[in-house]
Amino acid sequence: MSKKTENSAYIRLFATAAFTPLAMAFVEKAAVGLKLGQTEAMSLTLATEEIFSYLCRIATSDQPVEIHCSSGGYYVRADFLFPSDDFNMRAFNLTATVSFDDEASLEEMGLLIASRAVERFYISEEKGKRLRLSLIKEKAYPETITAEIPEVKPFRDFSIRRPDSDALKLFALLVKHHYQGQIIPCSFNYPGKVADMVDGGEYQAVLAISPGGEVGGGIIWRWAGLKTMECFGPYTFNQAPDSPMSNNLLDACLGYIARTHAVGLINRFPTNDLPVKYFETLGALTIFGSREQSSSVTAYFRQMQEDAGTSVWSSPELEQFLQGEYGRLFLPRKILPVMDHGEMKAPFSVLSAEFDRSQDMVTLRAIRAGTDAYRNLSGHMSLFSRESIHNVFFEMDLGLPWQAEFTPALLKSAFKPMLVLPYAGQGDIIVFQLFRKL
Amino acid sequence: MKTVSLQNLIPEYIKQFEAYIPSKPDDVLKDLFGCRHLFRLNNNENPLGPTAAAQAVIREFPPPRASVYPSGDAFHLRCRLAEKLGLHPDQILVGNGANEVITFVIKAFCQEGDNIITADKTFAVYEWVAEFSGFQARLVPLKDFMFDDEAMLGQIDEKTKIIFICNPNNPTGTYWNEERLRHFLDTVNGRQIVVVDEAYFEFVEEDDFPDGIRLIKEYPNLVVFRTFSKMYALAGLRIGYLAGDLEVVDIIRRTCVVYSVNVLAQEAALASVDDQEHITKTRKLVSEGRRLITRELDNLGLPVVSGQGNYMMIKLPMSDTLAYRRLMSYGVMVRTMTGFRFPNYIRLTISIRQAMEAFVEALSKILN
Repeated sequence: MSKKTENSAYIRLFATAAFTPLAMAFVEKAAVGLKLGQTEAMSLTLATEEIFSYLCRIATSDQPVEIHCSSGGYYVRADFLFPSDDFNMRAFNLTATVSFDDEASLEEMGLLIASRAVERFYISEEKGKRLRLSLIKEKAYPETITAEIPEVKPFRDFSIRRPDSDALKLFALLVKHHYQGQIIPCSFNYPGKVADMVDGGEYQAVLAISPGGEVGGGIIWRWAGLKTMECFGPYTFNQAPDSPMSNNLLDACLGYIARTHAVGLINRFPTNDLPVKYFETLGALTIFGSREQSSSVTAYFRQMQEDAGTSVWSSPELEQFLQGEYGRLFLPRKILPVMDHGEMKAPFSVLSAEFDRSQDMVTLRAIRAGTDAYRNLSGHMSLFSRESIHNVFFEMDLGLPWQAEFTPALLKSAFKPMLVLPYAGQGDIIVFQLFRKL
Repeated sequence: MKTVSLQNLIPEYIKQFEAYIPSKPDDVLKDLFGCRHLFRLNNNENPLGPTAAAQAVIREFPPPRASVYPSGDAFHLRCRLAEKLGLHPDQILVGNGANEVITFVIKAFCQEGDNIITADKTFAVYEWVAEFSGFQARLVPLKDFMFDDEAMLGQIDEKTKIIFICNPNNPTGTYWNEERLRHFLDTVNGRQIVVVDEAYFEFVEEDDFPDGIRLIKEYPNLVVFRTFSKMYALAGLRIGYLAGDLEVVDIIRRTCVVYSVNVLAQEAALASVDDQEHITKTRKLVSEGRRLITRELDNLGLPVVSGQGNYMMIKLPMSDTLAYRRLMSYGVMVRTMTGFRFPNYIRLTISIRQAMEAFVEALSKILN
């Protein structure tokens, strides 16, 4: 084992059952060392046991597995990295060993059990044919305590600043006090978590501060994919309707993002303070709740760079939708058709499911195409139904032609194309949403 | 196939950096955006083209000479520039565009832990070269669209090696007059190298605009950049230069890649140096174009930031990146300013009347 930085540690060991206790002990000690509470560290350790045991079962030979533990401030993440060639890829479908008529079989499924023990879980494939299986366990925070919220009066003068931890916690309290509903990220229930999210670097924020140090508003943002940022807000508190605060907050946010390699900024939960003239309307998603209720949220988007134009791969069923969206958004794209000419295809597909249980949401992504796409999707739908997940999305990368092969199966499974996210993957990403009752 | 452990090989500061992707060639862009013509108003090029003498050099260049290396240090061009500017030839270094001489200076003076200072909203290459070389770029916000001298002085510490000033500033067109530049140099007092980038020097007609090269005698820590890409319209050949104190340039020369400037660029530049008429004609075109655009944008109720140089910034009531795509569909290419940290602004190159009218017409359409 070696320590890479003060915020991470890794171990490399063979995927054999004899090392399962070692893998568990490493993750537990690393998690505690990275400031995860004992209870949460134990959950991550149990998830590790499931994952490592599962890898031992499906490995085709004794192969090294690297386990990396790192701190994201408000969470600890455990990544399992291993060469995909040496494992039975089909086994990475969450549904691989499940018979939905057989509860015992369901319980045997290590990946699913692991996913239940953490807040976020997903599989991705790295260049060089390595699979990365990621578990994210968040720290436990006390909910907002009933504190006296300071009254904010309209500011005559303010500056936009990077906040310290105390200002951020106050900001989170003020957001909860002044706003309601889905436009507030769940994390704002926990002011300490918001402070850690920014301190850990996963989120960034700027606040509007008066000369006397009061907080009048703010905006917060994070990466949402390889090339796209997502922002929440701007939130302002009791400011005059003609106050430039929202614009100034957004200008500052854009100024910071402009220094990164982000090509786009998305806002999926806009407040009334969002200066919409900075954005384009990307489309709307429907958010389903547990009691049959649903609401529609408009996604706003802006590019950060000049669009140089590109080509996208699409199956014929999607071409009309794409032409409509690209025309509406003035995006220069050449749509290249992906067609079945009867060539040999792999029999089994592989899907990665990214669970975000705090948002009642799962996002599917394709890792391998195969002729069983419809059956595989159906299996996943049944599984999500059992897991009481109400919002299911599928992200298809239009820069990878083989992913287009999922289109017929998706449409047959009641998924609908909803949004196109320019350059969010190897090419544009199209977001499908499931509209069938689970 | 063997794999490469790239993650272990890449320096941290390179991992943080993303490659700049230049725009595609005209034929590809026209195809993608479905336009029949394309007015490139994004790179501050001179629509009049190279001087007549430079055009003759290019036209008459004997193809067999392409097989022979050029002068490794642009000897004749340096001698001619030195004569014109009142310098010794060794006080001048010629590079493959001004971008290359930025690299020379940073490599010559910065080592691990050092920093450079410049503005947050200016020509981005100073910042890029520093950061992908592993040095910190301290970015000082503009004040009233202008370099903020006091704030920049406040950022200096013992690790600061170079201060970059773009005069006039690209993209705002603001400038420091001679008094302000002298005051800044007096305060720096030789502790850092001060680079004044005068890429748009020949466009400026204001009496109080400083000629940086004239100040080198008094301030040996001053290095001045100039280019043949803008006024002299040799952007496609890539040639620019720096001038400075003999001792300073001798240090910079140690990091200089010889033979990086091709023979045609050197000879076309040499032919351009004395053409004052070309400068007069270009200034007239820019002045007329600026007047036309200012009037039309005033009619559209759009605020402009317009100063020196052959460009101006326009604030739009919409996303600049959306405006870019929509203008492209009408065959007009501008520079979006989000990357310069001016969201919803575009920068327009002032060009010939036909291009300016096409821009105004397309802009009116997209705003309606």
